Amino acid sequence: MNGVRRREIAKRIFAYEFNRSTHRIKPEEDKAPVYVLTPLGMRCNRVFVVGALLDKDEIKPDSGIWRIRVADPTGAFFGYVGRFQPDALESLMEIEPPELVAIVAKIGVFERDGRLFVSLRPESISVVDSETRDYWIYETALKTLERIKRMELKKDEDCKLAWQIYNPNLNEFRQMVKQALASLKEEFELIEEIEEEELKERKEIEEVEFEKLKEKDELEEFEEEFEFEEEEWDLSDILGE
Amino acid sequence: MKEERIKQITNQVVEQFRRSGYDVDAKEISKRLMLLIYEFKVPESEAIRTVKNWLIKELEIPKEKLVAEAPLVKIADITKPGQWVSLKAKVVQLWDSSSPSVSQVGLIGDETGMIKFVIWAKSGKGEVEEGKSYLFRNIVTDSFQGRMQVYITRTSDIVEIEEDIQIPPREIEVVGALVAIQQNSGLIQRCKLCRRVMTKGICPIHGKVEGYDDLRIKGVLDDGENFYEIILNEENIKALTGIDLEKAKQIAAERLDRNAVLSELKSQLLGRYLKVRGTRGGRYLIVNEVEFLKGIDKAEIEKLIEEVAA
Repeated sequence: MNGVRRREIAKRIFAYEFNRSTHRIKPEEDKAPVYVLTPLGMRCNRVFVVGALLDKDEIKPDSGIWRIRVADPTGAFFGYVGRFQPDALESLMEIEPPELVAIVAKIGVFERDGRLFVSLRPESISVVDSETRDYWIYETALKTLERIKRMELKKDEDCKLAWQIYNPNLNEFRQMVKQALASLKEEFELIEEIEEEELKERKEIEEVEFEKLKEKDELEEFEEEFEFEEEEWDLSDILGE
Repeated sequence: MKEERIKQITNQVVEQFRRSGYDVDAKEISKRLMLLIYEFKVPESEAIRTVKNWLIKELEIPKEKLVAEAPLVKIADITKPGQWVSLKAKVVQLWDSSSPSVSQVGLIGDETGMIKFVIWAKSGKGEVEEGKSYLFRNIVTDSFQGRMQVYITRTSDIVEIEEDIQIPPREIEVVGALVAIQQNSGLIQRCKLCRRVMTKGICPIHGKVEGYDDLRIKGVLDDGENFYEIILNEENIKALTGIDLEKAKQIAAERLDRNAVLSELKSQLLGRYLKVRGTRGGRYLIVNEVEFLKGIDKAEIEKLIEEVAA
């Protein structure tokens, strides 16, 4: 669409694939949205995840920035909520972990020693029931399998790029999907918690990134894509409902 | 400069007639245009029309053989503003015109999609009727708030056609997560005169007038592939949350805050999966029926697991 940017679709992705996304697609023009390319060749800028909120910690006392950890059956997402996500912050303050939550988030990226780390920048957080969580797992499994199929075909550009960058072991991802689906059945085993090492690594980076994060927050506020405005025609009226 | 312009217009005319299978004399056309535009100071559009009429008479071209100036396209092909096109489309819906400069406004559709149209009063074109199919010739595209629309202007033509343009089923079913609820949702006030939503007691058309309360949600449903902007009315909201207008007013009164209603609706609906049956109306999916998604079929899961294993 000319001139106006379309709203970004909220992609469905498991933590396992998300956390292994280390490639950023450089915007072709200024102000264009930043996309992360996942190991299964999906471009994303916004995600929708449902999982268990395990922790919320203020990263420094009185910093106003909270780190959250949200787990799905395949791993855990990290996220940061600050004062520039007022809706998310407001709901987060009222939630006591552990709790099942649905999160709509932009993807935050930061780089350290040449490696890219992704995290969630929630736009909204809400408490949901286990049915919502189950459907999310089912839907995400379905979409992940579709991505695996596309990777096998090696046809589209993003898949080719993903092969080049990640050279993923597709069986490993199939295994991950299977694990997630198995959790929907009564008898299931939880997979290993997110590797301790990665957790430690993240905490180290955090200290350094904290200041940048604040600056970035302020920048990002102005980058928000086109969102809807008051309508010109309210059809519900005209249809006489 | 003058010659350049004349040459340009001449080429357009020649090209147009060539497309209909007629070879015309460029020199003669240039001569006539030059005379009309620079000697007689006739506006360009009038000069072009005059020359074309002369050619049609001269070559005895039957009117229907002359193709439209603008290419005939499908609605789905309209992606850029400022393009001249022609469309064969059916009038799906007429809306109330809010402005005296607009004679008619609404939606037209063909087999590929729907688009908003505006017939300017100044265009002097006849009225169209809902459910009838027309050839809209030489209309111009534009984009408004990110959506495409078309204008019928003075140089356009509207011709009713025999053909009944088939429009794909308008009611669609979408399962998606409600990923956003817009700020002007919840307990709102509408203008008593035009039913438009008022902000802080002000109607965008009528200014400070009396309003009445209503309950609605404007939100975004996202299925991971597409997004749909949806409008939920009081009935829809009640079906989902049990909150109707009375209850909403009660919540607002208890908490001394109209926004409390929006907060309550957000906490009950954001991030939930909804199954919506609705009608595509331009930008919005008008909801006919909505419910929370029921659980997943266990057999489906088994099937998927087998698929992965294979």
